[in-house]
Amino acid sequence: MDFSSNIAAQLNAGIILPEGIVILTLMVILVGDLIVGRNSARWLPYVAIAGLLTSIVALYFQWDTPDPDAFLGAFSGDNLSIVFRGIIALSTAVTIPMTIRYIQQSGTSLAEFIGIMLTATLGGMFLSGANELVMIFISLEMLSISSYLMTGYMKRDPRSNEAALKYLLIGASSSAIFLYGVSLLYGLSGGETNLNAIAATIPDVTGGQSLGLAIALVFVIAGIAFKISAVPFHQWTPDVYEGSPTPVVAFLSVGSKAAGFALAIRMLVTAFALVSEQWHFIFTALAILSMVLGNVVALAQTSMKRMLAYSSIAQAGFVMIGLIAGTDAGYSSMIFYLLVYLFMNLGAFTCVILFALRTGTDQISEYAGLYHKDPAITLCLSICLLSLGGIPPLAGFFGKIYLFWAGWQAGMYGLVLLGLVTSVVSIYYYIRVVKMMVVKEPQEMSESVKNYPEINWTLPGMRPMQVGLIISVIATSLAGILSNPLFTLTTDSVTSTPILQSAAVVQELPTDQMEISDNF
Amino acid sequence: MNLAEGVQLVSGGILAVMMIVTALGVVLLSNIVYSAFLLGGVFISISGLYILLNADFVAAAQILIYVGAVNVLILFAIMLVNKREDFKEIPGRWIRNASTGVVCAGLFALLGTMVLVTPWSVDSTSPAVIENTIVEIGKHFFSDFLLPFELASVLLLMAMVGAIILARRDLIPESMPRQETISTSLTLPERPRELTSIGATSGEEN
Repeated sequence: MDFSSNIAAQLNAGIILPEGIVILTLMVILVGDLIVGRNSARWLPYVAIAGLLTSIVALYFQWDTPDPDAFLGAFSGDNLSIVFRGIIALSTAVTIPMTIRYIQQSGTSLAEFIGIMLTATLGGMFLSGANELVMIFISLEMLSISSYLMTGYMKRDPRSNEAALKYLLIGASSSAIFLYGVSLLYGLSGGETNLNAIAATIPDVTGGQSLGLAIALVFVIAGIAFKISAVPFHQWTPDVYEGSPTPVVAFLSVGSKAAGFALAIRMLVTAFALVSEQWHFIFTALAILSMVLGNVVALAQTSMKRMLAYSSIAQAGFVMIGLIAGTDAGYSSMIFYLLVYLFMNLGAFTCVILFALRTGTDQISEYAGLYHKDPAITLCLSICLLSLGGIPPLAGFFGKIYLFWAGWQAGMYGLVLLGLVTSVVSIYYYIRVVKMMVVKEPQEMSESVKNYPEINWTLPGMRPMQVGLIISVIATSLAGILSNPLFTLTTDSVTSTPILQSAAVVQELPTDQMEISDNF
Repeated sequence: MNLAEGVQLVSGGILAVMMIVTALGVVLLSNIVYSAFLLGGVFISISGLYILLNADFVAAAQILIYVGAVNVLILFAIMLVNKREDFKEIPGRWIRNASTGVVCAGLFALLGTMVLVTPWSVDSTSPAVIENTIVEIGKHFFSDFLLPFELASVLLLMAMVGAIILARRDLIPESMPRQETISTSLTLPERPRELTSIGATSGEEN
């Protein structure tokens, strides 16, 4: 009997309280829908949002917790994981308001959809803190399987079916490759599954670098790059984004990507510390390809969802610059960019959903002359798109300049210059949409804008969308100018996380003039 | 070499050959029913290898889950889809087959070299020390693998909900007439793109 009491004392289960709150919300939603029936759609989404916000509050109170390791090392609640879990929970909390109307208008049931989305969030949150191979795999699968289900949610639409099948097949093969790499790590470390233990034993066993470690690295990166849709592993992105319900696209482009980056940081910095030169090299290649291909192919797109798909590939390329820099500033610029990217991308997707619900299309040419019919959406979409492009007073500009500054400090001049050039290219395709909406004369309006319905925010499900849109737009416009709190938050989270500090010491030896200037 | 070691070696060899032959059969045979049955053969040989590795519980679970459930499910799915369609032979198919073969052989050579050169750290614990593997597995499930073990239940719950959503018969709501926003019946609100002739949109399709 003393086995259980021994174990229970060491679990430190309070660390996963935020996830516990999300699980509880999930249960309330599933059981509530079961008892009340379809009418429950009136209050269920708000329960979900409230649960997610409570979970963020719980995360706030766990900041700087003295003993972050929970479940005998399976889960780590250090500040890095808290920031990423917060980003993922926040992205779902902002995504849910835009799903309500969209899902109800398509005649599918809302409660199950929100349940699946919460499970995906849960998978992402656990993935951000997972410190052990089995845990990493289970939470990765949780995130992926819920994403496949959400992608295929519009059952009678062949595009949705195609997207779900494609995503499932490519995702399953990438999970298999990832699992192979992970099993190699298990074998090389002599049967350890904890990342810290693996990092400690691999140098003793292999005596430095080995072919096995290199192959494990390549396979693991293939799995991670699929999640963040970096370029050679991006083929699924445009088709899946086009065929899935738009709120799912919003979640995939923000929450799922943030989880992928959290996994990348934790695994590469701890388990693959021995081959850090190699993974820096691979990620440099991935970043170059993503920035170039994402931005160039986005130029040719005619559908808004496909354009945002390629834009999200390119944005992942920019975020990778921070990962490759490998300094404190690099990691914190990544987190900062993901935070502002959350608001600007979700704001843009809310506008795309509103337009699609009112006109039934997402072709870029159909946006022509929208300014005359609906100035509010035009303004919000313009702000979000210009911020994604990186136009000065908006948040995206500050996020990008911080990333590029961190990259420049780390001596990656070529990569930063390429980033600058490709972000100039990206401004072209974002501005094309803005121009389409604003500059056209009334007689040049497209058919759908001519038949634009009366704007009515009082319809069921429209009010939350309006609130979500306003919050995203305000955050997008002000997060850049008033960035100091966010900046302090991200820097603190990086400097107080032990795994990043032990790795950064090795990296920072050559450049010792790393003064962090807090003025932007 | 005593008798026990010899038996182990021979049965290991037999199982490995059986596994490789059946796996090749799964991939190369064109009749899908044969492939499904051979897949069962692969699973059974893997389970035999588990027994040789002293993993008795995993071997039993492998047979129960993979052969008993997954494989039977695959066979059911094949039988329910009784649609016959003759596919036309793709011209130049051998080029694809040959290039796939080259890639696979290269991958096999790489992984084989890796397995041979890597100094694997072999666990020196004698299998005689662990008398009951199920008790050991149970202890792990309730200590260091507690969180993934419990998390799997949420994953399975959601997989079940998702499967029911996909399989259930929905009432298709009437598309309401114009009511300020588009309403559809279980489809995306965005209209599909107009399909134009291939030459005209070659630049956009990517």
